[in-house]
Amino acid sequence: MRLAVCLCQVPDTASVIGFVDGRVDLSRVNEVMNPYDEYALEEAVRCKERFVESVVTVFTVAPASAKEMLRKALAMGADHAVHVIDTPASDPLQTAQVLSQALTAFYKETLPDLIFCGKQSTDFQSAQVPSMLAELLGITAVTGITTLQFLAETLQVEREIEGGIESFELHTPALFSTEKGLNIPRKTSIKAVMEARKKTIEQLSFLPDDSPRVTITALQPFERKKQCRFLTDEKELVWFLHEEHALF
Amino acid sequence: MNHYLVFLEQRGGVVKQASLELWNMLQAYVARQEACVLSGLLLGAVNLQQLDGKLHGDGRIFYTNNPCFDGYNAEYDVRLIAETFTQQACTALFFADTVLSKELAPKLSIRLKASLLSGVPQFNQSGCDYGARRAVYSGAAFALLQPECAPKIYTVSSFPTFVANPSQGQREFIALDHNSPSLSGGLLAVASQLVMCQGAKDLTEADIIVAGGRGMGGADGFVLLERLAELLGGAVGASRPVVDEGWRPHSEQIGQTGKSVAPALYIACGISGSVQHLAGIGAAGTIVALNTDRHAPIFDVADYGIAGDVHFILSKLIDAVQDVLKRK
Repeated sequence: MRLAVCLCQVPDTASVIGFVDGRVDLSRVNEVMNPYDEYALEEAVRCKERFVESVVTVFTVAPASAKEMLRKALAMGADHAVHVIDTPASDPLQTAQVLSQALTAFYKETLPDLIFCGKQSTDFQSAQVPSMLAELLGITAVTGITTLQFLAETLQVEREIEGGIESFELHTPALFSTEKGLNIPRKTSIKAVMEARKKTIEQLSFLPDDSPRVTITALQPFERKKQCRFLTDEKELVWFLHEEHALF
Repeated sequence: MNHYLVFLEQRGGVVKQASLELWNMLQAYVARQEACVLSGLLLGAVNLQQLDGKLHGDGRIFYTNNPCFDGYNAEYDVRLIAETFTQQACTALFFADTVLSKELAPKLSIRLKASLLSGVPQFNQSGCDYGARRAVYSGAAFALLQPECAPKIYTVSSFPTFVANPSQGQREFIALDHNSPSLSGGLLAVASQLVMCQGAKDLTEADIIVAGGRGMGGADGFVLLERLAELLGGAVGASRPVVDEGWRPHSEQIGQTGKSVAPALYIACGISGSVQHLAGIGAAGTIVALNTDRHAPIFDVADYGIAGDVHFILSKLIDAVQDVLKRK
């Protein structure tokens, strides 16, 4: 089974996003693998462990600094890494276009059986790239899956929707974006980290097919501080909520 | 002329409240603009009478009862939405920000060569053609997003309930052609099945949320939250540590790796208020914090707070709410 995983980098959750002279300051930010992508990678590695002669290849469109993240992916069980560098991808469409080109270049005529992506990046949370990529490649996609099962001829996946659970039965090739709850990503052992150093990272460059369709014209600080009114009596709180604000 | 198309999402024959509110909200923009009309699109077997008294303003609603749409298949939806959008010469497509729209909108943006702005909250007075503002980096910053080309697609999230008079205006229902060519051939095979959870209130649509954190001490602590949520007609939410501990299911998680919610009232119980949690409640209205630690960051974003033992406060709060409800 041939398995592809798309990865991206995000600021780690402990990073402080500051502002200097009205501009966003990312200098104190530590970039890590997007948490949702870890579920994607873990699931691909589990598929590999289940089906003999499977190969997991990870893809990322990121600056040179993403090499460390790719090493981690290789230590988690990926076999190959494709690092798309020197590529301007400023909106989700361009990222999806470049990933599509990279996958097509790597796999030539036959697409991989399964492609896994994280549901969304935790920094911009657009959740656009996985569905766009599936559309560009012309394959089936189910977003935000929480279970994946292999049946005799088909695959069965489930996802949470508002107020319920939806299940799908489908064939490969398919693209899944992964939601928290699908699995618990493994920790990397020192041995695996050492072995990952021997694996090669292939570097490629592409150009997006189109100019960006959405641009970010400004980033502004979000001031959410409120003046909290401390109360001591629950009855008083209920009065405010009921009488003053008519919230229930 | 601007022609906005609103996708009226239905599941199991019930049109989503978020879609109805989006329609009503957009009517306000349409009314302020010259030469701008609103249409709706409803796919699947739906009793149209359920819309009586819920929609505001004028407009046409395209619908189909084609059995293709009895179960959900993204490819069918994408084809018919794209076809209707093009045939009716629409200029912008709107979705309520849901699991389904997160799947459909990116596909449609490719097919329609459209700018896609996802998860944008309510638009400002000048309307949606001038871009949108959305929280990024876990709510540490706002990004101003500018669509660079027409047509445009928006998934609209977390807007406060829009007060409209649904009885006004005239809606015309137009059935789409059952034998549409877009519904045959070259379909990616997907069979789907939907199981709705009975009685469980969906967090993203709840007006009141009572959420618990590690401070609740364990799964048992949530009995009080369930009781309060039930009294208030709200839903129960949870912070990440609670879900990681297995006290509550992931579907209830609020925050960066959970849901973003927009209730009118958010009651945070035993939640310290990490940046990741606050990222999910940026659109909440009144925030009440109950916490042992008077210096917990949750109080910095709260309107009202009570510091002290959260179980004790909750018991008394439940009594106080019951007293008020009895007098009603």
